[in-house]
Amino acid sequence: MSDWVRVADAGDVPEGELRSYTVGNRTVAVANVGGDLQAFDDTCTHHGCSLSEGELDGTVVECPCHGGRFDVITGEVVAGPPAEPVDVFEVVEADGEIRIRARDTD
Amino acid sequence: MDVLVVGGGLAGASAISTLRAQGFDGRITLLAEEPVHPYERPPLSKEYLRGETTEPQWVRPPSWYEEQGVDLRLGARAAQVVPGDRVVLLEDGERVPYGRLLVATGVRNRRLEVPGADLPGLFDLRTLADADRLREAAGSATSAVIVGAGFIGCEVAASFRRLGLDVTVVEVFPTPLYRVLGPELGRVVEAMHRDHGVRFVLGEGVASFEGSGRAEAVVTEGGRRLEGDLIVVGVGTKPDAPVGVADERGAVPVGPDLAAESEGVYAAGDVADHDHPIFGRIRVEHYDNAIKMGETAARNLLGAGEVFDDPHWFWSDQYDSQLQVAGFATEWDRMVVRGSLEERSFAAFLLKDGVLRCTVTLDRKLDARRSLPLIRAQARPDPALLADPAVDLRTLRPPEGAG
Ligand SMILES: Cc1cc2nc3c(=O)[nH]c(=O)nc-3n(C[C@H](O)[C@H](O)[C@H](O)COP(=O)(O)OP(=O)(O)OC[C@H]3O[C@@H](n4cnc5c(N)ncnc54)[C@H](O)[C@@H]3O)c2cc1C
Ligand code: FES
Repeated sequence: MSDWVRVADAGDVPEGELRSYTVGNRTVAVANVGGDLQAFDDTCTHHGCSLSEGELDGTVVECPCHGGRFDVITGEVVAGPPAEPVDVFEVVEADGEIRIRARDTD
Repeated sequence: MDVLVVGGGLAGASAISTLRAQGFDGRITLLAEEPVHPYERPPLSKEYLRGETTEPQWVRPPSWYEEQGVDLRLGARAAQVVPGDRVVLLEDGERVPYGRLLVATGVRNRRLEVPGADLPGLFDLRTLADADRLREAAGSATSAVIVGAGFIGCEVAASFRRLGLDVTVVEVFPTPLYRVLGPELGRVVEAMHRDHGVRFVLGEGVASFEGSGRAEAVVTEGGRRLEGDLIVVGVGTKPDAPVGVADERGAVPVGPDLAAESEGVYAAGDVADHDHPIFGRIRVEHYDNAIKMGETAARNLLGAGEVFDDPHWFWSDQYDSQLQVAGFATEWDRMVVRGSLEERSFAAFLLKDGVLRCTVTLDRKLDARRSLPLIRAQARPDPALLADPAVDLRTLRPPEGAG
């Protein structure tokens, strides 16, 4: 069981944008899709680039290195070179904080 | 309907993946000349060559083909296509019939036709087997001469410097990457390599290779003799389509929808000479294009009738820098720079008659991909806005339907 971790103040991820935070031994990306926050592993499953340095287009994040595209809600690969999905995590914006619950990687 | 894919590389495997994702449950056969499952080539001049990874980067996990019910025939080379009979002949004479055929056979490395070119000990790089040989040889070498400063030559030079080898690069053009980037940007790449200790002999072709029993030196047309423990040749490629669908240069000419002239035949990836709706007839050798053409060809095999109008994009990693190129241009009349060429952090926009054709970035990754919608729309962005790093390129997109 993993715990909720505070990563930022509420409102720190503006609509349509991406940020990244360290949670346990992971780097977690947070996307703001039309006001809803989505959290997913920041490390692209292709060659490990940081997805939060890429582009958010609706519910899809595009990796800056080779254009791999992931659905930020499900973590599934939408297009491009990655073969594996990214993990997605629970995220809430409450009491003036953004909190994430992420499992450590093995 | 049976689908036959010839060429077990990136385009072929991507096409198969799309066929299954589209719900196609008919028979799929993949003829692959190399004895290994489809893998990605980009690491071969980078992480894999440097020994930072030892596993090939598979396009799909090797078990995937069986799971997807693909009849994968490794080590099988198609000798000829007979479109009239809808059959492919293997080298041993076996006939493989097809309903639809996808040709995705890629390219081969060109050889230099000079004295000594058949000496043992000359390396080139295309396949996993080539990379294994080169990596092993680099392990016991202290110096290397690289012939050709195209993308592969430049990446191998960077990897060899990382491994501590002494590196000299010989190039017939006045700068590295001259044909793709032109002299001004080529000089930026040259400076980056020189700063990392690479020596260049530019503007000189190779006259011969010399050595007793094995290649030991490159002799240039200017009479210089460059010795190296290792000599690597990267002087371009030649498309490798089978007889029956190849044109006189070895490519497969295809229409905007990737269909070849013969009924039921398509081509994708490096081998496809494509009638591009924006750029005219072009053939490119890019990773992203191989995936996307494979995907489009698969949908069109099933009757989708899509035009392939991707504006093209690729990258090259050298040292800690990443070069990205969006679009395609062989000529331009204006180059607008955002950032600084000198500091090697820039986006260079290449315009022809005011239309943005190509964007080259060095360590400004997002600007290349953000240019793609502009290039696709053949937009005429204001050069002052292009040059201003504070302007987000996404705000320059022409309105939908215009442009
Ligand atoms: C060392 C290296 C580094 C690269 N780095 C980059 C990079 O950083 N960025 C980038 O954008 N691109 C890069 N590329 C280019 C990219 O890898 C190619 O564009 C891509 O692999 C093309 O895919 P393809 O499927 O068309 O051809 P390939 O992947 O080459 O596959 C073609 C396959 O078909 C097989 N074949 C050929 N003829 C036959 C036949 N008659 N019967 C059966 N099989 C046959 C071949 O053996 C081969 O396995 C690199 C290429 C190399 C070699
Ligand atoms: S590292 Fe993300 S697509 Fe390659």
